Amino acid sequence: MALSRRTGRSRLTIALLVITSITVLTLDFRDSAVVSGARDVAAKVFSPLRGVAETATEPFSNAWNGITRYPDLERENEELRATIDEMRGERVRDADAAEQLAGLLDQLDIEWVGDIPTATARVIAGPGSNFSRSIEIDKGSDHGLKEGMPVVNGAGLVGKLVQVTDRRSHVMLITDPDFAVGVRLVDSGVTGTAEGTGEGKPLIVDTGLEAGSEVKEGTPLTTSGSDRSAFPGFILVGTVVDTRTGSGGLTVDLVVEPLVDTSRLAFLTVLLWEPSR
Amino acid sequence: MTPAGPFVIAVRTSLLLVVAVTVQLSVASRIEVFGVQGDLMLLIAAMAGLAAGPDRGAVVAFATGIAFDLVLQSPFGLSALVYVIVAYVVGSLQDTVLRAAWWIPSATAAIGSLFGVILYGVFGTILGRDLVDPALLRIAAVVAVLNALAAPLVLPVVRWATDTRDSVRARAIMR
Repeated sequence: MALSRRTGRSRLTIALLVITSITVLTLDFRDSAVVSGARDVAAKVFSPLRGVAETATEPFSNAWNGITRYPDLERENEELRATIDEMRGERVRDADAAEQLAGLLDQLDIEWVGDIPTATARVIAGPGSNFSRSIEIDKGSDHGLKEGMPVVNGAGLVGKLVQVTDRRSHVMLITDPDFAVGVRLVDSGVTGTAEGTGEGKPLIVDTGLEAGSEVKEGTPLTTSGSDRSAFPGFILVGTVVDTRTGSGGLTVDLVVEPLVDTSRLAFLTVLLWEPSR
Repeated sequence: MTPAGPFVIAVRTSLLLVVAVTVQLSVASRIEVFGVQGDLMLLIAAMAGLAAGPDRGAVVAFATGIAFDLVLQSPFGLSALVYVIVAYVVGSLQDTVLRAAWWIPSATAAIGSLFGVILYGVFGTILGRDLVDPALLRIAAVVAVLNALAAPLVLPVVRWATDTRDSVRARAIMR
């Protein structure tokens, strides 16, 4: 009798807890201010604690990662040296092209990404769990950062700021399934929306192109920068690696490899830019 | 020894969660094995079920999940939902174990972690995150091994926080 009473109470407890969990999940999906407010408070509480703990344990974690990833680091070092050599030549050509592009855009009264003020930030923490895709940087509202600002590096678009405290901010990465950005194919000017599908996976771009349309592999995409876009235009996003039939069977979706390697980020640039309302 | 009151247990559990979240974010998440991070929070949820039973264990696991969800940019409440189920299953299974052994905490941590990671992947996919892929099994296996190794260290702390050190259940787990 006592056992069955206890089992009944346990079932009631778990039912209540499951219902509560589903309720808060629903609140989060509806972008409730309660959830974002609670997260802001938690970020303010844990940021200093985390900073102290990271400083104290840094030698240990560096030693561990140095031992376990030494062969990878050695190979990466060789690849990086080769890439730097290639980029030295490209930089000269790009500088000339960028100058010409900036001049043309100026004449057409279109905003050029190179003119936007920026803040450089260091990545101080990666994702806190195996399933989280946001990273943390060491700049916050004290440095002029605001939620929604685009984050880039030398390769292209990295993501956007989703949570900003006084001295730290969270960046939602371009590969996050909740991430979406308006893009434009560089050669044809066709626009679409690119969405993340998870770490290590390509972006999927819904272009509205008719089924059977051909898009060349390797075609670069940039942010579209259209009216009311959440990002300024002409930031490199990725290159087309494949095409596939869209969900309705009438259009073509593009499979796009991001130019940024989101698993290895050290320094980032935040564009101090906000969309026009 | 006089049992601790509900207020003392709540304070101890809160302290445990603050320390656990800090350690998870600053230490466990930075130590990778085969590209997989440690998952201390899931281990605490499983150990709460083991130490405090399906009822109280699920409540502690819920608090653990909410604390973790607060600092992640993932669906808020998803960890809490998964941890509640893990603690309940672990606590219920423990009730059916007839004999005690030293390896029970590690085995429970391994099975609970394997189950918890896969459950998170399935629920995450239902919520549109596409987490069910071969990498999920790798994450589940590595987290299970790491948590099995850490379980003997974490269980006494969870017992202290939940005041279950001298309970019949606690004595039945490890001999």
